Amino acid sequence: MVETTLERTSDFEIVGAGWRHHEPKEQTPTLRQRLKGKPILAAVILLVIVLGCIFAPYIANHDPAKYYYDATSLAPNGEYYFGTDSLGRDLFSIMFYGGRSSLTIGVLGAAVVALLGITYGTLSGTASDRVDSLLMRIMELFGAIPGILLILIITAVFPAGNVISMSLVVGITGWFGLARIVRGEVRQIRNTEYVLYARSIGGKFFYVMRRHLVPNFLSAIMFVVVSSVSSCITTESTLSFLGLGLPLDVLSWGSMLSLANRALILNTWWVIIIPGLFLVITLLCITDLGNYLRKETNRKSSNL
Amino acid sequence: MRITSLSKRIIRRIGLLILVMFILSLVVFFLARLAPGDPLQSFYGDQLDSMTQEEIDAARVRLGLNDGLVQQYIRWFTNALHGEFGISLKHKQPVMNVVKPLIGNTLLLGVLAYAAVFGLATVLAVFCVLHEERFLDRLICRIGTVFYYTPGFWLGVVLVLIFAVNLGWFPSSGAYDIGMKNDLGNRVSHLVLPLFVMIASHLWYYAYMIRNKLLDEVRKDYVLLAKSKGCTRRQIVWKHCLRNVAPTIVSIMAISIPHVTGGTVVVESVFSYPGIGNLAVEAAKYHDYNLLMVDVLITGFAVFVSSFIAQTINEEIDPRMKEMETIQW
Repeated sequence: MVETTLERTSDFEIVGAGWRHHEPKEQTPTLRQRLKGKPILAAVILLVIVLGCIFAPYIANHDPAKYYYDATSLAPNGEYYFGTDSLGRDLFSIMFYGGRSSLTIGVLGAAVVALLGITYGTLSGTASDRVDSLLMRIMELFGAIPGILLILIITAVFPAGNVISMSLVVGITGWFGLARIVRGEVRQIRNTEYVLYARSIGGKFFYVMRRHLVPNFLSAIMFVVVSSVSSCITTESTLSFLGLGLPLDVLSWGSMLSLANRALILNTWWVIIIPGLFLVITLLCITDLGNYLRKETNRKSSNL
Repeated sequence: MRITSLSKRIIRRIGLLILVMFILSLVVFFLARLAPGDPLQSFYGDQLDSMTQEEIDAARVRLGLNDGLVQQYIRWFTNALHGEFGISLKHKQPVMNVVKPLIGNTLLLGVLAYAAVFGLATVLAVFCVLHEERFLDRLICRIGTVFYYTPGFWLGVVLVLIFAVNLGWFPSSGAYDIGMKNDLGNRVSHLVLPLFVMIASHLWYYAYMIRNKLLDEVRKDYVLLAKSKGCTRRQIVWKHCLRNVAPTIVSIMAISIPHVTGGTVVVESVFSYPGIGNLAVEAAKYHDYNLLMVDVLITGFAVFVSSFIAQTINEEIDPRMKEMETIQW
């Protein structure tokens, strides 16, 4: 159609005849652009570690629970990649088997923290002023006792000998900060119309919490929940190092490090450095991921 | 909270402190009694097997184990008011005798670390604010995060491995060598590594908080005014912004006391530093409940007293605090 009209009026110079509809190339962001600003390195390293732990039996080249009595305190070599500890266990194999319990404790502990913190915080946030301040005071009382002392009391009374009880101990002592944040968030949204409506048509506490409150403050607390994974792992390893956590035969990064004191006497650096590096790298990766979830506040430019 | 006079507020705080300590002792007492294991067994040990039934019954009556829990608590409480907290099962002597000589050591470590952490945190925060989003700021943020997330005990062990075992610059454990209690140099050399761990694992958390507060502060209008008057950037941050942030820093210092105290527990046991933190770990390991209870009570007392003091100071330097909804006891 257009071509015929153009032909007919070809004697004239038509202004704008060269006009073409500009169709911009669809800007599909390249992979590089899409990944910009996201914690790729942390995610990849963490993925490798997690996969390594899941597929530990395929990676380990020795039995992690076996004591090789003729090969105690060997430096890293071709046979034992990360060396052996003073009991003659292969560190390379324990690393991945031990990561299983350390990561499990991190995730389970964070789940306990989230459950307790969200429930308590919501309860306190929706309660009347009097009950709210009572609940907050009780929490501050326990929050004011140094966390490690609280854990010492609990582990002295209820020894945490396996992964599940360890996660419980670690989780029970770590939810105070989260509860305070949740309470603050809940108090901001508890008088909105939809919450009032849900309550006035007879929504029970847990229903309102699940359907209306949690989805609203979830993004605000994601960062705290993720970083509690790393704090749970830290607490577990600290406790195991102090000899109050998992026993030596329950493999974890913490219980590996409980041999650190003997390693100091024998001056076998690999027993101390290698599990610790794994621990620290994992913690840093989790933190990086958590920081990504934190809402970035847009600051205006400095007046300085 | 109404604005009341200083003395009234202090009296109120002391009342609350007593209440808090009472609750804490209750919790600790009942937790310790919930513990598995026969108290008689832990009191007499192997002797128990050779005792007749009558002797056991007599011992139960003498130790008051047949009374109800409430009665036991009341008796423990009245004894505690006299300063008697029972016998340490591990050390076989009154708990207070075990704890007393160690309090000073912990106090020394804790107070030094606390002062150093907040002094350095403030300086570091100001430095970062002056170099905001430039290379040095980013570098410090990165290093700070790495140190903060490195577990304190591991850092301690690594430092011992490097500086005590291999280089031999510092001793690996204890507070002083035998017979050198009053030798200052000896004590300092024992304190270097523990202090470094304490500072390294706490510093960045607080420096970062102060840094963020200061970053909000330098965006306020009075900074423009100060700048147009001709103040240098340093002057503005040190003299104007920091003063406005001071109440927040004091609040953070108050909240941080349990955190730093908890840090001493781990550090003391890594370096076998003779303090009450190390003692608490030992007590927990040996199920020495009397000792653990006293340890927790002393630590709790110290924490509560210092946070009350911090709050009172805060209200004095910033009158707005009295009206604000802060953590009030």
